Amino acid sequence: MFGFLLGEALRDLRRAGRVAVSAVALITLSLAALGSFWLVSENLGRAVAEWRDRVRIIVYLKREPASGDVASLVERVRAMPGVASVRFVGKGEALETLRAVLGKDAKVAAELPSNPLPASLEVTPAAAAATTEGARRLLERLGALPEAEEVAGSVDWVERLAQWQRLLATIGLGIGAVLAVAAMLTVTTATTLVLHARRHETEIMRLVGAPEFVVRSPLLLQGLMQGLCGAVLALVALVAGYHVLAPRLEPLINLTLGLPRLAFLPTPDVAALLIAGTLLGGLGGWLARGRREP
Amino acid sequence: MVELHRVCKVYAVGAVKVPALSDVSFRVAKGEIVLVTGASGAGKTTLLRLLYRDELPTEGEVEVLGRAVTTLHGSQVAALRRSIGIVFQDAKLLPGRTVYENIAFVLRVLGAPRRDITQRVFEALRTVGLSSRARAYPAQLSQGEAQRVALARAIVRKPALLLADEPTGNLDDAMAAEIVDVIKDIWAGGTTVVLATHQARLVEGLRRRTLTLEGGRLVKDEG
Repeated sequence: MFGFLLGEALRDLRRAGRVAVSAVALITLSLAALGSFWLVSENLGRAVAEWRDRVRIIVYLKREPASGDVASLVERVRAMPGVASVRFVGKGEALETLRAVLGKDAKVAAELPSNPLPASLEVTPAAAAATTEGARRLLERLGALPEAEEVAGSVDWVERLAQWQRLLATIGLGIGAVLAVAAMLTVTTATTLVLHARRHETEIMRLVGAPEFVVRSPLLLQGLMQGLCGAVLALVALVAGYHVLAPRLEPLINLTLGLPRLAFLPTPDVAALLIAGTLLGGLGGWLARGRREP
Repeated sequence: MVELHRVCKVYAVGAVKVPALSDVSFRVAKGEIVLVTGASGAGKTTLLRLLYRDELPTEGEVEVLGRAVTTLHGSQVAALRRSIGIVFQDAKLLPGRTVYENIAFVLRVLGAPRRDITQRVFEALRTVGLSSRARAYPAQLSQGEAQRVALARAIVRKPALLLADEPTGNLDDAMAAEIVDVIKDIWAGGTTVVLATHQARLVEGLRRRTLTLEGGRLVKDEG
């Protein structure tokens, strides 16, 4: 029976002709647009996550604590909410780091009468604290330490990146939704034409007492097929676009965002895109069927 | 098999009420062949549409194959129609399908096993004398042949009741006689037949029980 219904649906698609092709093209366009924004948003999300991992807050200390007090100070800071890890950087280590940074100019540091660099604590915020609000509270807590001279560090720009990511995802969703509605209406139009072309079959089916699901299934199936076809084409376009553009964009992305490689959509997202397209087409077919119910 | 009790049918056209049937009562026994005759607009088609539940009566009771059709809903209507074969003046063949496919179509939509379909289609085609035209398309058939295919499609499910609404209305006398012969064969096979026609010659030729409608009223039940 399913083979017969599928055959009827394919016959209907041939009847719908150009309108069915337009519907498939619109579904392809809407899902490709949605998928493109999704892809950019996914990669921005990875960049945000990576940069959140790299966020450090430096607590400059008034004076270098005695070696016996370092462990307890580090332990006290680690116990604070929103702190993932703490590392003590002594004055000596800070000077060594400066020398390493200066490279061939390191002898300038040797001419200093004394080590001017303060000891510090390098604090890595926990993921929950790596937001504007979380970081602000952590900065307040660290600034309140009696040993703290000054606290430096901010997550504002990471937050801005995250905001861009959310904005892109929203724009993508908006454009995708508008195109999806257009695609759905085109499928509805195609199915309405099919419904007209199919009226003799429908009449015969009803007269001989065919179950209602048999009368309706070909319309729903041809909508689902248009949707799946559009989704597969959108996926092919996305894969092709990714393979063409990713190698060209990666050096720039690495330089600006520190992402060495652009990733394609993960498998669950690809599956979601295919399912969304299929359901979109099915909904179009179902809506047309509902309007023309005798 | 079929029973109508004080049936009235009124169509509402805007504010205007158009009576199609008035106080019609009769019974058709199992295995009987009954002609329904009357001038155009007498109510023959409305009467048949009530029998396959395409219309509901405004008043009265309609019972077909032991079911009160006014109380049927959705799948019950479909179940009733699976026991009824219907033929119209227009053969209503699907133009893009061959004779074989047109008949097989009804078996396929009803979920008949694939292995039975060919056998049953050719059996129906033999009954109407068209086995050799299985591969022809409707456009390649004469009107008489098309009507015989419609009959084959109606009987392929071996219905208990055959309703024929002016099946010879578009045919010349020779073709009409062929169709009547086929219908008589179907009836002889045990199927109850209700045949609506306005052709007096056909009624005289058949010499069977005849219900005569005039202006929606049953004025004669004889034979």
